[in-house]
Amino acid sequence: MSGLRGKVAIVTGASRGLGRAIAVSFAREGAALALCARGPDALRVTVKELRAAGAEVLEVVGDVRDARDIERLAALTFDRFGRADVLVNNASELGPTPLPLLADYPPGAFADVLRVNVEAAFRLTQAVIGDMLRRGSGVVLNVSSDVAVSGYPSWGAYAVSKAALDALTRTWAAELVGTGVRIHAVDPGDMDTAMHRAALPEDDPASLLDPAYSAEAFVRLALADPGTDRVRATDLLAPAG
Amino acid sequence: MTLAVAALPPELRASLPPELRGLRRDRVRLMIVDRAANEVRHTRFDRIGEHLGTGDLLVVNTSRTLPAAIPALRADGTLVQLRPCVRRDGEWHALAVEPLPPHRNVPLVLGERLTTAELFLGVVVGRRADIPLLWRIAVELPDVALMTGVGEPIRYSYVPEPVPLEHYQTIFATRPGSAETPSAGRAFSWELAIALRREGVALAEVVLHTGLSSYQDDEFDLEHRLYEEWSEVPEDTVRAVGRAARVIAVGTTVVRALEGAARDGTLRPWRGWTDLAIREGSPLRVAHCLLTGLHEPQASHWDLLRAFVGAPLLERAYAEAVERRYLWHEFGDSMLIL
Repeated sequence: MSGLRGKVAIVTGASRGLGRAIAVSFAREGAALALCARGPDALRVTVKELRAAGAEVLEVVGDVRDARDIERLAALTFDRFGRADVLVNNASELGPTPLPLLADYPPGAFADVLRVNVEAAFRLTQAVIGDMLRRGSGVVLNVSSDVAVSGYPSWGAYAVSKAALDALTRTWAAELVGTGVRIHAVDPGDMDTAMHRAALPEDDPASLLDPAYSAEAFVRLALADPGTDRVRATDLLAPAG
Repeated sequence: MTLAVAALPPELRASLPPELRGLRRDRVRLMIVDRAANEVRHTRFDRIGEHLGTGDLLVVNTSRTLPAAIPALRADGTLVQLRPCVRRDGEWHALAVEPLPPHRNVPLVLGERLTTAELFLGVVVGRRADIPLLWRIAVELPDVALMTGVGEPIRYSYVPEPVPLEHYQTIFATRPGSAETPSAGRAFSWELAIALRREGVALAEVVLHTGLSSYQDDEFDLEHRLYEEWSEVPEDTVRAVGRAARVIAVGTTVVRALEGAARDGTLRPWRGWTDLAIREGSPLRVAHCLLTGLHEPQASHWDLLRAFVGAPLLERAYAEAVERRYLWHEFGDSMLIL
């Protein structure tokens, strides 16, 4: 398949879990990739594997908490590829585990979760969307969660951050009408990832989605407009009828 | 050639971007220099659409600004700040200045090895014959990764405190390469750019990676030594120019890129170094109008403006801008020459 051939996609948090699965799916579709993660070793493994499969990959070790690293990721992507067609704001911070109640939540950790899950997504989108707006084409995908809309105890800052990310997406989507640039919040579903295991260690992995499955929703969204700014991966991928 | 005008009052140098002065980026002032009417008028940048219309083409420079003040450790253990002005084929032509204000030039030693962030940066191999203040340094690390990792935006004395790099970027900034921000496009917001598009004003891009505006040496700066800059004029832009009723260059960098690519008389796609000097009497084959910031009357910038405007009108514009307290430099107000 080659639905994304000639396209350039940026994925944050790309060394593990959903980010890695999205990178693999995008590569399979022919996209060139700029992949960012904090840990150089895990990122190198992903990058090596994708290059071996024939993908063109730019590897950027960086922490999206840091405005310099965000600007660096954008600059290196444009330096290498000259454009950005798809941005996936996937890097997320869960917060302290075991997940504390809000009454017990360390305020510093609360601020850190918002910084990674909301502010970094805003900053990176702002750093690359100018190219999309000028060319009148591009897609931004923000990884959300069902905790953004339902209140579960102990999901604290993570839930707050994902609700804020949904609002960011909704507002930006309204501003982008008619520009050719799209933005969507995607709830990937409950997946078998390190983050999920940290949050809910008692869950049976067999009951969880494979991130590779959820990643297909991101491929679909990169290719076609679902007509709404918030999407659940399972709805998008469910067989019609 | 300098203009017959008074020196710029120092307090008119913008010390902060408008967003950090409580203004939106597109709410800076705009001076209209109307050549046909021989008139100078005053408005606000976000009302620029009143002076543009269907068939007009704004050509913008999409070069992204690099943090181009690079800290380096010299062989003798002292610190120096490198400001690469031209970067080509693994070689920098860089100013070497003291790390702290007033950033006076520092003589390097031929063969000297320089390091940055504990990495080997390069070795001094010579100086440019035409601009001896620029040191030739053979650099081994990839430029953009290195500079975005350790550099800071180049800052002159009128900007006393560091300003985050994102405030130096224009909304069009894409491919990194400029040592200093191509500031003429800085006042555009996307809100304004989208509104102009709706009104039929088209947008096209060139890339011109800027070098340095000062050699940190007053006497040498007065000589206006020009150096080559990398520029790209894509096929799409050539076509857009062909369709346009009026071409408005957003910045002198865009004039240099467009006129450089039209040197033989016709605009053609271009990708390469350009060393075209534009001044009074230079032919303008592509750009009809110019949107620009305000820079010191001694700067080579005004030489280029003389290609568009006669001295009497330009001198009047300058005097009015000073009288009305326009702000100067990359974070300041704007001027549209129609």
